[in-house]
Amino acid sequence: MVPTAFLVAFLVFPIGTLMVRVGLGLHVAPATATLFALSLAQATASTLLALAIGVPLAAVVSRYSFRGRALAQALLTVPFVMPTVVVALAFRAMLGSSLPQGMVLVVLAHAYVNLAVVVRVVGATWAQLPDSYEMVARSLGASTWRAFITVTLPSLRGALIASAAIVFTFSFTSLGIALLLGDSSTRTLESQVFRQAGTLLDFPGAATTALLQLLVVVAVLGAGGLLSARAPRRPLRPPALRALLPREWWIPALAALGGALVLAPVVGLIYASLHTSHGWTAQWWLSLGLIDAGTDRIGSPVSALVTSLGYAGLTAVVAGLVGGCAAVAALTQARTRVVALIALAPLGVSAATLGLGVLLAFGRPPFDLRSTGLLVPMTHALVAVPLVVAVAAPALRAADPRRALVAASLGAAPTRAFLAAYGPVLRVVSLSAAGLAAAVSLGEFGAASFLARAGSPTVPLQIARLLSRPGEQAYGVAAALAVVLVAFTLSLTLIVDRAGRTT
Amino acid sequence: MKRLLMLAPVAAVVLVTACGGSTSNGALAPVPAGTVPAGTAQAGAAQPGVVRLLTHDSFAVSDSLKAAFEKSTGLKLEIVTSGDAGTMVAGAVLAAGSPTADVMFGTDNTLVSRATKAGVFWPYNSPDVAALIPSLKANTDGGLVTPIDYGDVCVNIDSSWFTKHGVTPPTTLADLPKPQYKDLLVVEDPAASSTGLAFLLASISRYGDGWKDYWSSLQANGVKVAATWTDAYEGSFTAGGGNGDRPLVVSYATSPPAEIVYAADPKPTKPSTSVMTDGCYRQVEYAGVLAGAANPSGAQKVIDWLISAPVQADVPLSMFVFPARAGVALPDVFTKFAAKVDTPLMLDPATVAAGLDGWLSEWDAVMGR
Repeated sequence: MVPTAFLVAFLVFPIGTLMVRVGLGLHVAPATATLFALSLAQATASTLLALAIGVPLAAVVSRYSFRGRALAQALLTVPFVMPTVVVALAFRAMLGSSLPQGMVLVVLAHAYVNLAVVVRVVGATWAQLPDSYEMVARSLGASTWRAFITVTLPSLRGALIASAAIVFTFSFTSLGIALLLGDSSTRTLESQVFRQAGTLLDFPGAATTALLQLLVVVAVLGAGGLLSARAPRRPLRPPALRALLPREWWIPALAALGGALVLAPVVGLIYASLHTSHGWTAQWWLSLGLIDAGTDRIGSPVSALVTSLGYAGLTAVVAGLVGGCAAVAALTQARTRVVALIALAPLGVSAATLGLGVLLAFGRPPFDLRSTGLLVPMTHALVAVPLVVAVAAPALRAADPRRALVAASLGAAPTRAFLAAYGPVLRVVSLSAAGLAAAVSLGEFGAASFLARAGSPTVPLQIARLLSRPGEQAYGVAAALAVVLVAFTLSLTLIVDRAGRTT
Repeated sequence: MKRLLMLAPVAAVVLVTACGGSTSNGALAPVPAGTVPAGTAQAGAAQPGVVRLLTHDSFAVSDSLKAAFEKSTGLKLEIVTSGDAGTMVAGAVLAAGSPTADVMFGTDNTLVSRATKAGVFWPYNSPDVAALIPSLKANTDGGLVTPIDYGDVCVNIDSSWFTKHGVTPPTTLADLPKPQYKDLLVVEDPAASSTGLAFLLASISRYGDGWKDYWSSLQANGVKVAATWTDAYEGSFTAGGGNGDRPLVVSYATSPPAEIVYAADPKPTKPSTSVMTDGCYRQVEYAGVLAGAANPSGAQKVIDWLISAPVQADVPLSMFVFPARAGVALPDVFTKFAAKVDTPLMLDPATVAAGLDGWLSEWDAVMGR
């Protein structure tokens, strides 16, 4: 019920309003076909690379207990919230001219940004798997590899497919990174939508491109949903981290390497926030509270932080509730699986489409939400719901439904029986999912740029505005603000993870 | 931490009961507070005493001037932003006749004819229009829009780089394809950046049908194409924030004074960048009363306010553009360091509207993109 109502109100209604307004162009521009093929190749490469790096890291940070584990896990979430323009500048500063702009750089950056999706989604399921099966397989003579391939991998299939589908979607619909780090070979359908709508004002053309993109994404996510639903169930054991054996020194080492990879661009940011052409300085940090204060010129960076945190909290609650419900729906009734599938659709709706649609639907009477400040968090929740579903659904599926039957046969009410089976997983997973939703909100740029009010920009918006003017101040303060954003994400993730872990 | 943990099972119960639908027979589940369309409470009625200004996200004005407007008119001025100028105009065209605000600022001369043709504006001639610079009033379609400010898109030069390398900086558009400037220029993608588009229009205005040959020669001379202004200036320009390697960038005639105002302390006495004053494209920004506005008289007052002397005097340091009002005193840093462009290039908005799609595709082809 809840997911359906939410999606109808905040997705179907605005997009419908937009489509009715625009109509569809029937011809597809020849350039669109080329873009389509190139986006497909780019997104596939990005997904494979993200999985190749993300799965080993997920194995390490979600299963073993060692000092710094929580920190490593939190660090891996950081790239996901860094504003695109910051990632692009950091990558460029780090790599210099050693790697020219183009496909390779874009694939690298997409894998970097989406690492968190793989680590989170696969990790959430992996943490629920008992070691005992793999141990049994090995005691029966299977090699480590064979045990992994025949026992662990099939259990992870659902989560692997779900995360792959999401990373593919993000890369396929990428705008900022594809533009900033790419060349003509990395243009996406999304950039075509922006060009058609924003530069050429060719709305029917833009609508056709946006619809094409939506169809591809729904097909990919739908296939992902069907495939992952057939993953085998495993009995649930409350998650416990495994202690390290002395010969497993490589596990923290791998986590440290992952953390270092993620941190490298952040170090560049910290340097930029403390440096001017004259040498070291603290002035960028000192001006966080008062840059252009007292004017509408830019608003103070600190107030942007307050705005962003408020939005993030609201997003976490709404997305957690809606996404959690959709995940539960996917579990219980065949009919409601459709809802869960539709809940993934926002991933495929371009930010331009969504932004314009929400503006037309809620920017004027009878549904005038502009002055309520709800538009941004609702749109963020829409973007975050698919991630919540992706984290929650596979983990819930891994839980043992027989517990509910036992509880029900002992006279428990349906809700109580449900909680007996899924309560422990639900608690861990809902916190982790809400954390991810908050992170999405902190880092989101596209839709917010359409919907924010002038006096209260979000942090990524504020960073983009600072960077759109010349002078050292812009660069220094933007870097300081980006460091603050990273620090907040890091602490948020640490708190949420700890809350989820401790039993 | 403990408290958070106690909340977790509660959240789980809420989740299960709120979902409802899976156990109940289609009965309406309680809707979470956040999703109630709060706007229904005020549905239909325009809020009296409020006027809404729709603008792009680079709009800025001093708080004191906004307060003065609210005090003298008794209206609350709500400023709503909507992405960059292109997406804002796109939204306004889609909502033409039933707008999301009362007045819009920030349509420029590349897009204005598309907006006026779509019926986005109601005409309004402010009593103060006579005070504006005459040449800026050329494309206002009989008062559908009012010019508020203007700026010039020009090639900017990192002077210290040229001094250090003993190279004479270029002075005209025709200099840029010369061998001594090989691999020195960065421009923006005209399809993604309004600055890049202005530079493309400058070349079309200067060379007519020969513009494609001009761009071929730039391409052969190693021009770099960045996606956006930020990317070009902060990322690739040697005088920008990052570790750029290009001492020539397409930017604004007002970038050098901005370099001073937003420099690190202690502020330098003169900027390290300068402007090539040939081949500059003039951008004019307009405001207009949105057709179907809930508060048209308030919208007219906003336009009067935007071209009033105090706001026009605030425009340079707020947005780093020149005021459209004649005879407004400019701040020192402008008179000293902003480039004065005597013969800017311009194209007729209707010509731009008709040719743009084709030009962008041809540019792609020339640049091998």
